[in-house]
Amino acid sequence: MGVEKDFQKFEYFQNRELSWLQFNHRVLSEARDKNNLLFERLKFLAITASNLDEFVMVRVASLKDMVHADYTGRDIAGMTAEEQLEKIGHGMHGLVDVQYSTWNRSLLPLLKKEKIEFISCHEQLDDSQGAFVDEYFEASIYPVVTPMAVDPSRPFPLIRNKTLNIAALLKKKKGAEKKGELEFATVQVPAVLPRIVELPKGKDGERFVILLEEIIERNMSRLFLNYEIVCAHPYRIMRNADLSIDEEEAEDLLKEIERQLKRRQWGEVIRLEVEESIDKRLLKILKKEFAIKDDVIFFINGPLDLTFLMKIYGTEGFDHLKQKPWKPQIVPEFANEEGVFANIRKGDIFLHHPYESFDPVVDFVKQAASDPQVLAIKQTLYRVSGHSPIVAALARAAENGKQVTVLVELKARFDEENNILWAKRLEQAGCHVIYGLLGLKTHCKICLVVRKEEDGIRRYVHMATGNYNDSTAKLYTDTGIMTCDRAIGEDASAVFNMLSGYSEPLSWNKLSMAPLWLKNRFVSLIRREVKCVSQGYEGRIIAKMNSLCDPVIMEELYKASAAGVKIDLIVRGICCLKTGLPGVSENITVRSIVGAFLEHSRIFYFGNGGNYEIYMGSADWMPRNLDRRVELLFPVEVKENKEQALHILETELADNVRSHILQTDGAYEKPDKRGKVLVDSQAVFAQEAIQAARDIKEKKGQLVSGRTFIPRERPEE
Amino acid sequence: MASVTTFAAIDVGSYELELTIYEISPKKGIVQLERLRKVIGLGRDTYGQGMISYDRVDEMCRLLHRFQGVMAEYQVENYRAYGTSAIREAENREVVLDQIKVRTGIEIDVLSNSEQRFLCYKAIAAKENEFNNIIQKGTAIVEVGSGSTQISLFDKDALVTTQNLKLGALRIHEILARIGGMAEDRKKLAQELIDNDIATFKKLFLKERNVKNIIATGVCAMYLGRGAHADKQRISAQEFMEFYEDLRNMGEEQIADKYDIPGEFVSLVVPGAMVYKRLIDATEAEMVWLPGVRLGDGIVAEFAEQKKLIHFAHDFSKDILVAARNIAKRYMSDKDHAAILEKNVLNIFDGMKKYHGLGKRERLLLQISAILHDCGKYISMKTPGECAYNIILSTEIIGVSHRERVIIANVVKYNAMEFDYRTQDVDLNKAMRITIAKLTAILKIGNAMDRSQKQKFKDVRVSVKDLQMFITTSSSESILLEETMFTHRADFFEEVYGIRPVLKKKKGA
Repeated sequence: MGVEKDFQKFEYFQNRELSWLQFNHRVLSEARDKNNLLFERLKFLAITASNLDEFVMVRVASLKDMVHADYTGRDIAGMTAEEQLEKIGHGMHGLVDVQYSTWNRSLLPLLKKEKIEFISCHEQLDDSQGAFVDEYFEASIYPVVTPMAVDPSRPFPLIRNKTLNIAALLKKKKGAEKKGELEFATVQVPAVLPRIVELPKGKDGERFVILLEEIIERNMSRLFLNYEIVCAHPYRIMRNADLSIDEEEAEDLLKEIERQLKRRQWGEVIRLEVEESIDKRLLKILKKEFAIKDDVIFFINGPLDLTFLMKIYGTEGFDHLKQKPWKPQIVPEFANEEGVFANIRKGDIFLHHPYESFDPVVDFVKQAASDPQVLAIKQTLYRVSGHSPIVAALARAAENGKQVTVLVELKARFDEENNILWAKRLEQAGCHVIYGLLGLKTHCKICLVVRKEEDGIRRYVHMATGNYNDSTAKLYTDTGIMTCDRAIGEDASAVFNMLSGYSEPLSWNKLSMAPLWLKNRFVSLIRREVKCVSQGYEGRIIAKMNSLCDPVIMEELYKASAAGVKIDLIVRGICCLKTGLPGVSENITVRSIVGAFLEHSRIFYFGNGGNYEIYMGSADWMPRNLDRRVELLFPVEVKENKEQALHILETELADNVRSHILQTDGAYEKPDKRGKVLVDSQAVFAQEAIQAARDIKEKKGQLVSGRTFIPRERPEE
Repeated sequence: MASVTTFAAIDVGSYELELTIYEISPKKGIVQLERLRKVIGLGRDTYGQGMISYDRVDEMCRLLHRFQGVMAEYQVENYRAYGTSAIREAENREVVLDQIKVRTGIEIDVLSNSEQRFLCYKAIAAKENEFNNIIQKGTAIVEVGSGSTQISLFDKDALVTTQNLKLGALRIHEILARIGGMAEDRKKLAQELIDNDIATFKKLFLKERNVKNIIATGVCAMYLGRGAHADKQRISAQEFMEFYEDLRNMGEEQIADKYDIPGEFVSLVVPGAMVYKRLIDATEAEMVWLPGVRLGDGIVAEFAEQKKLIHFAHDFSKDILVAARNIAKRYMSDKDHAAILEKNVLNIFDGMKKYHGLGKRERLLLQISAILHDCGKYISMKTPGECAYNIILSTEIIGVSHRERVIIANVVKYNAMEFDYRTQDVDLNKAMRITIAKLTAILKIGNAMDRSQKQKFKDVRVSVKDLQMFITTSSSESILLEETMFTHRADFFEEVYGIRPVLKKKKGA
């Protein structure tokens, strides 16, 4: 065999933050893609903006923390935190430049062509429009803004994270004693008012919009009556918001998070966005007050905080500029009146959202809540929607006397406030609520229903790759399984027992759980493929996930590739693995699919010498998933379901419309489409779901269209 | 739904508390639904300080309370809760049990060691196909627990003897922890500790027995299978030895990692494996079977059997009787006399059924008393009663509880001496005293019938009429000696039952 090859060299890996920036570039490329409808392009641009905000708030912040802590360790690609910050800073500036050139050069003119005039600065308003916005200011804005001047007696105010503000330089009007001295003032653009203000329509029906901050800027003098406004410019800051909770010390996790939320406003400023044309004196003051250096200042050529474009997308009308809203299709197995549980008893059911409806999952909990035979419902909840029907059903179940256990993950980033609220509600209804686990995030998505039936207890389990969130289920592609398989039911109980603090089961049947067993399971599945190759079989892995950056897994993949295993990876976001490295990763391909739906499912295919196995789960191949979270991997077992899962992977591998392929030089490029049949995997799945729903309707139609009546039998339960 | 019974078994063990929920149905037999375990170191308290601390009781109560929630969830109709050695040996046992009862409503019965082993044995035997296959060859069940090691030996298909050695994995671990010093030295010391006990056991009990198979159960056995390939249930001695060698050369952390053993158990695995290793050496066994049974499996098996929900092919009372006969043999009892006595007392017991109100279990106790009735003579011809009493109290009979053993010991004692109504024995409660009196009365009569030890009363008929019990024999020999002895004993019998036994010769004989 020779000397063991080293698969851990720095040059074999990409830095994860830089890889993330590449991902955001891919989303941005959708905003630049002329084949997309205009409003869809606005939406993609808005997504890149909010993505970048979160990236700065979490990733950049934690790198800053490392620098502050004098941490000199190197990442997988051999970079120190400082080196990473430098490269990221460079990358972010580049990204922002592309964002705004897309906005200014493509989208603004296109909007105008569609008769939507976006008035970039208030100076461009004509007289009647000016009068309109002034009146709007007087009536709606003035009462809710708080102008704050800064002088020796009034210190610099707290500027809140992510809020939009206007900074101004003021000069006392005539009659004031000291002439010529400038004073600083700042006003927060009120978040309670819509950012976009529509003006009266033009003669030809063209529409005009202006941003709220422009109206305030125009009326600054009314806020500071005794002053002359020298200049006024919007700005926005981002603070370090990474929550690191000391759980050992926190008596009550709930209280701790509430406290942290309040404290978050006080973090260090790690980014300042200002208008490109900002007055130098004004900028100097901001720099000093926020204690920042030049490299974190972003000069913006256009409106700050592009997330408002999402609001434009939301305006009524313009349907011809938007993708028709997708209507999730009925899941054929549930196209009857027999109830969720009776249908599951017929065999495992595969779910593919959002192509297929999320309703069966909601029904699973809803029907369990009112089913007299159901004894208990146990569920993990990570992020749920605002008015979650699942939360409501769980509360109802508890009120109906069922034993309801809910593990609520309070540490789900940015969702804490929401989570605390309904967790309390569930507790009031009589549910047993577990507020997460000490030191671990519970990320697995599993729901267990225990039902007492004629021949004894039967357990129904739903496991999925996505959260129990009916809103995101319309936007995220996720897969799931419903089953009443005995062995899985037993494991599901064991999962909840472990989450409740009991010891691990003596053995597992079919599920693998992180952080204890999952990584080893993946490693052994990968190694099995290597073994297959050595025994003369084909070695084959197809894996789809959101991110890939676990060093152990990547090393195993390199080893497998070097041994001749063919590996195709579908990784939407971060991917630290490099393809085409001689002797290391020549057998690996990586592609990323970015489409209207957010790719979110995790599906893993292992060839196993011809007797292929498919797994799905909640975990990405990231250290945070495999080492610091409770995650589940479950097998897809029924032949038809395996075929369906494999079909998803194969279609995505064939996608040449939405996919970006990782090149050996580290760049992502769309495949060459010339002379090829276009495959848009998301469109294919949508079409197939429609067809399947149509087929089942026809089949049912045939039943009633004959000349004989078919009396319905009493339902089974 | 009536045909399905839900049952919960609670095992209050020395190392962990365990709740297992089962479903019992004629169709599927016993199916395990749920198993909850949580480590609570009762053993640390009891073995260390002799009693269970209040904090531990509190912890236990809270956990039991949670168990009740789960039982309610499954709408469990019946449950049994058993405590084992950590509770049994705790000085403040009664108080602890009472506190638990008051706080949770759960009544915990304390199992004697032999009952506990018997339950485990039932759980193993419930795996009928494999079990029957295994015991075709000489077999030993070895349970290395945290506090002790139990070795039970089979002769053909019956269990003949069971011995408890104070070689628990936790115990060994704690002793070694106290000693300190080099790891290699400690291992050597553990070896010596184990070898000493096993050598004695081998000399006394193993002798000519040929043990080919070892059935390994208990907390340590659980993880031995991991050493071989992926949780196999059967491992060869060879495979085991390789695993053991591997274990010996690793630190606990490495072991936990390599064999996926939870941290809280890893300190038990090495001493446990040591005990198994030495036993395999001593017996030259070829194969180890890991049936993976837990006490709960035995608890449910016993429950299901008692409620006639399932039926065992294996005859467990036969095990008990064989074990009793083995003890009698050890003390050189007269086998022929005992056999006729057994037959006679059972005849009387059955004939008196309407009048004594005792059940099947007491019948078994009577039978064992008959088998063991003269084992005391081995020690002293002068005070055979007291000697037998002491022998019985210090000899484990598998499947017989401590309380039952006290009954047997007393019955055997009073068979040889005057019954003492005013005994100060604190072990006896009212019900036990009555049972003892009733069984003693029968044994005394039965014994009198074979006073000459010539088996004159071979085929007797027992019938009760007009407050008289007629024992009719077809023997043609003179029964004068028996009749003489009989009168005095008949008085006692009459005292107990209000019925006068009368010896009769069959007409025409």
